Amino acid sequence: MLEQTKVVMRLDGVPDHHRLDVYEANGGYAALRKAVKEMKPAEVIDEVKASGLLGKGGAGFPAGLKWSFVPKDHPGPKYLACNADEGEPGTFKDRWILEHNPHQMIEGCIIAAYAVGISHIYVYCRGEFYQGKEMIRRAAEEAYAKGYLGQNILGSGFSTELTVHTGAGSYECGEETALLTSLEGGRGHPKMKPPFPASEGAWRKPTVINNVETLATVPEIINRGAAWHAGLGTEKSKGIKMVCISGHVEKPGNYEVELGVPTLAIINDLAGGMKGGRALKGFFPGGSSTPVLPAAKADVGYDYESVAAAGSMLGSGALIVFDDKTDVVRMAEVITRFYTWESCGKCTPCREGTRWMLQIYERILKGGGRLEDVDLLLSICDHLEFKSFCPFGDAAVGVVRSTINLYRDEYEDYIRNHKVYKRKFMPVKH
Amino acid sequence: MDELRLNQELEKWVKERLPRYPTKRSLLVPTLLEAQKYHGHISPSLAEAIGALLDTTPRDVLSVASFYTLVHKHPVGKHVIQLCHNVSCFLNGCDDIAAYIEEKLGVKAGGTTEDGKFTFITVECLAACGSGPVMLVGEKLYENLTPEAVDRALAEAN
Repeated sequence: MLEQTKVVMRLDGVPDHHRLDVYEANGGYAALRKAVKEMKPAEVIDEVKASGLLGKGGAGFPAGLKWSFVPKDHPGPKYLACNADEGEPGTFKDRWILEHNPHQMIEGCIIAAYAVGISHIYVYCRGEFYQGKEMIRRAAEEAYAKGYLGQNILGSGFSTELTVHTGAGSYECGEETALLTSLEGGRGHPKMKPPFPASEGAWRKPTVINNVETLATVPEIINRGAAWHAGLGTEKSKGIKMVCISGHVEKPGNYEVELGVPTLAIINDLAGGMKGGRALKGFFPGGSSTPVLPAAKADVGYDYESVAAAGSMLGSGALIVFDDKTDVVRMAEVITRFYTWESCGKCTPCREGTRWMLQIYERILKGGGRLEDVDLLLSICDHLEFKSFCPFGDAAVGVVRSTINLYRDEYEDYIRNHKVYKRKFMPVKH
Repeated sequence: MDELRLNQELEKWVKERLPRYPTKRSLLVPTLLEAQKYHGHISPSLAEAIGALLDTTPRDVLSVASFYTLVHKHPVGKHVIQLCHNVSCFLNGCDDIAAYIEEKLGVKAGGTTEDGKFTFITVECLAACGSGPVMLVGEKLYENLTPEAVDRALAEAN
């Protein structure tokens, strides 16, 4: 029976642990005290590097390495953007952290700021997270009042500010450079890299961008040491991961596990198995952007390298599970509509490619598909992937290509038999 | 264009926050959301007033406004219902909920009820996939939706 390894969720079940006094009573802010009083900034970076902490927003980039890219001798201000713009379909872990454990994230932000010499932290929060924004603002106020934020933190001489900044409804703004454009007051368009944000980010100053969950893991690494964290997980995927399970399971929700555990054990032992005892058809291992894997691969280790070897990605840790009754063509249309409507429009392959794919899906579902449409979809995928300005285009391809490869007969059934999907409503773009 | 006088509370809100940013324009996206609390939607005259406050052009304000789904470009009802129609909610039957809301309100997605009380729109993932189908009514999130739960939520908003 798989057990959880709770680190970011370590206080799950403790009443009111979003409150500063409760968080402190459970060891909160001890890591910050240790960092600013006993460690030099470079030592904090080394500790996080040695821990093997990987970015948990989707890309899995080593967090300590990211911090070390910021030029140490830069004379002007440096910034930290905490990416709380969680929008990857299937993902709901950051919202949980914001609403239930905001102080652990804030503590991680301040430690990161200390390590890199950052004078202002911006928590870029999804506009739709009304409660999350409120919780993080309140937590920040508490932290200011207690001297964890502001001038001369805990008498260390280190000072940093924290501002909660709201987004206003855009998936693309979760992409790190688009987030910066939005923070600067613009449409959420990505920026060309290089220069990388570490040398030229927000307002053209060195900027670190880390995901909420990544930052919320940092305090425990400082408390328990790099070796503890590096001893968890697999050789290449060290540590733990929050997994958001949704879809056709008995107990959907957030769980936290050691990286490398079998995916099927997460589904069966933690999420209570398939809803109503139905059969597993397939799953997205890491959100709607990651290629679908079939039931036959459900024993894959839940870590970056194993999921990659199986033909998909761990992404943001959003395990979307669907059963044998699922209409995958319609499911692929739902997700393609999402990418079409959320494409920022900056580059042609993504803007036009997603729209074209959606049009093809719509005609297939109306019973007017053509046999060549299936290969046409695959061809559009080839022209989107790695040819778009930012990874959004690659993300849009995953569901289309993987469902065609796995369930081509279902596409052909629609087309050959002029099957019509009976729509219950037609969504609108607002 | 008619000159619009910005709500004083809004102006105060903006001025209090400007020192947190290196440039005035950085506050544009949050200001758009705050402004519609007082002014409903982002009209051209409101864009002009916001632009003047944040050192940018009305055209820039409208361009930025048009990018974000939470920013209303047209008048909306008193309560905006945002129902998620993305994958996890789809797997858990959000299509039936959408059809139910349309029938109950007598408007299609995108529409506003005649009495101006509700605007119903469909939106992308609200990051509550473990408890789908979900919707926001105003700023409040409703999870595990059933027709009965929709009835209760809309009654609360009344």
